[in-house]
Amino acid sequence: MNEKPLLELNNLSKIFPVKGGKKVHAVNNVSLTLNKGETLGIVGESGCGKSTMGRTILKIYEPTSGQILFHGEDITKLSRKQMLPYRKKMQMIFQDPYASLNPRFTIGDIIEEPMIIHKIGTPEERKAKVQDLIETVGLKPDHIRRYPHEFSGGQRQRIGIARTLTLQPDFIVCDEPISALDVSIQAQIINLLEKIQRETGISYLFIAHDLGMVHHISHKIGVMYLGNLVEYGSSDDIYKSPLHPYTKALISAAPIPDPNQSRAKSRIILEGEVPSPLNPPPGCAFAGRCAYATEECRREKPEMVDFEGRKVACFLYKAGKKVK
Amino acid sequence: MDNLEAKLFRKLETEEKNDEFIAVESQTFLQAAMKNFLHNKRALAGAIILVIVILLAIFGPMISPYSYETMDTTLKNASPSSAHWFGTDKFGRDIFVRILYGARISLMVGLVAAIINLVIGTVYGGISGYIGGKTDMLMMRIVDIIYSVPAMLYIVLIMLIFGASVTSVMIGISISSWIDMARIVRQEVRSLKEQEFAMAAFVIGASGKRILFKHLLVNTVGQIIVTVTLMVPQAIFTEAWLSFLGVGISAPLASWGTLAQDARALIEIFPMQTAYPMLAICITIFAFNFVGEGLGTALDPKAKR
Repeated sequence: MNEKPLLELNNLSKIFPVKGGKKVHAVNNVSLTLNKGETLGIVGESGCGKSTMGRTILKIYEPTSGQILFHGEDITKLSRKQMLPYRKKMQMIFQDPYASLNPRFTIGDIIEEPMIIHKIGTPEERKAKVQDLIETVGLKPDHIRRYPHEFSGGQRQRIGIARTLTLQPDFIVCDEPISALDVSIQAQIINLLEKIQRETGISYLFIAHDLGMVHHISHKIGVMYLGNLVEYGSSDDIYKSPLHPYTKALISAAPIPDPNQSRAKSRIILEGEVPSPLNPPPGCAFAGRCAYATEECRREKPEMVDFEGRKVACFLYKAGKKVK
Repeated sequence: MDNLEAKLFRKLETEEKNDEFIAVESQTFLQAAMKNFLHNKRALAGAIILVIVILLAIFGPMISPYSYETMDTTLKNASPSSAHWFGTDKFGRDIFVRILYGARISLMVGLVAAIINLVIGTVYGGISGYIGGKTDMLMMRIVDIIYSVPAMLYIVLIMLIFGASVTSVMIGISISSWIDMARIVRQEVRSLKEQEFAMAAFVIGASGKRILFKHLLVNTVGQIIVTVTLMVPQAIFTEAWLSFLGVGISAPLASWGTLAQDARALIEIFPMQTAYPMLAICITIFAFNFVGEGLGTALDPKAKR
């Protein structure tokens, strides 16, 4: 336990100023840890700030407040130049395989570029490495001279994965890497990611909205709602016995392959809409749609508390015991 | 998902292992655009006319037995003949050769103005769009100020200071026309930089310069080429118009505008002397516009190939 976690977020917030002096609280006081060789899944509906969080960790967006510790070192305030050595260690796989590859670059150029930027190896060594990577992700060596538009979505996503692996990172943010792909191709990509993890001990921050897939690939899961982390714990705990009312609703909405089981299951149907992040309610963000909401919920914001080995932000749970 | 058995799976057949094979010949972006362009008849005709005009402008005066300034006083205002294809003007100079010389000057003014626009406009617009925020605001307000003064005023002022020469005409035309290019490039860069491939370049540690030039501007090449092609005829037109008004290039040098201006006094007696340079301007501008339009479709990534 002396080993420092690979990634630690302390009260990370990202606020976007909007016209008219208003502010969008995209990520609100999120605290998380990710250990070496583990996968942390982040789930939540569209617009809940999961992608923004991933991008803020990689400093694509400057964090507004809070701390990002990478291998125990604070990278929150580092400039673009100072970040350069860390860039080798943290990478990102993007959501849209059609937009994430430069259409004017060949596949070889795309995969080689990180090595050119970080001045790694001679041209011959780089070529050899590109060959290696192309095969690791299951493409053919003669694909190197081709352009992205000649590939299918799944193939492009594998090219994107090869690019992130070029620098041998130990942390990858996977920003909904499978949501733009066919179901049959999704499994291929997930298997590839798992294989890479087994072989290199890499850590993933896996962002998705498909709870089933996240449960399958993750060791831990964080559930986000309107920029807030509402529940965080081991993957099985959260999937099998969700605590937070929002997590319960999410899990009950996940489809089950067996129709008999599916009919037997009771679904929690959420009423209402997600409140606007421009004007978040004063209390718990979920209070407006929650069946258990009380006056307290609408007035005050629940803190994260430890409950049965995980963390949950809900007034139903007070450190260690269930209240109602 | 728990009852997956081994019998549900089978080994891939040999031919299935080639499923990732791509049969189509690989084409670079420019190869594909070139193919598209060559299939466009109007654009191709424009390109051929342009090549002919350019070749004539370069080699015509070398081959011709006449020079653009030699006067033959015995042969004033002659009609077209086998010796003088377009006849002679009021000083007995061969009109055909003068039009070829005019082509040199008009084309040069057009090309140089377009190149200046290309360089300044692309770099300025690219930087403004990429940095964004306050810098962008400031750079665009500067552009607005330059744009708010009529182009004519710059040209006349530059002519006053540097004298009426080809160079001052080129500077005058370029000084405000790069703004269109800057605006187009800025707009493109602003939308491209939000794309995931630009973010990917940022995450692997690419510098701002690298992202702007290697990732963003390469993807605006289509728009840039089209804009440049359409700027050439615009510059030729402006120069012709200036010279026709008498503020452009002065004798004995001749651009198409100057030729038309010279012949204007005799327009009632020898209308063809004015018509020749005007036709030359017309044909060239048409050809450039056709080529520009053809390039526009050929280089548009959304157009069907």
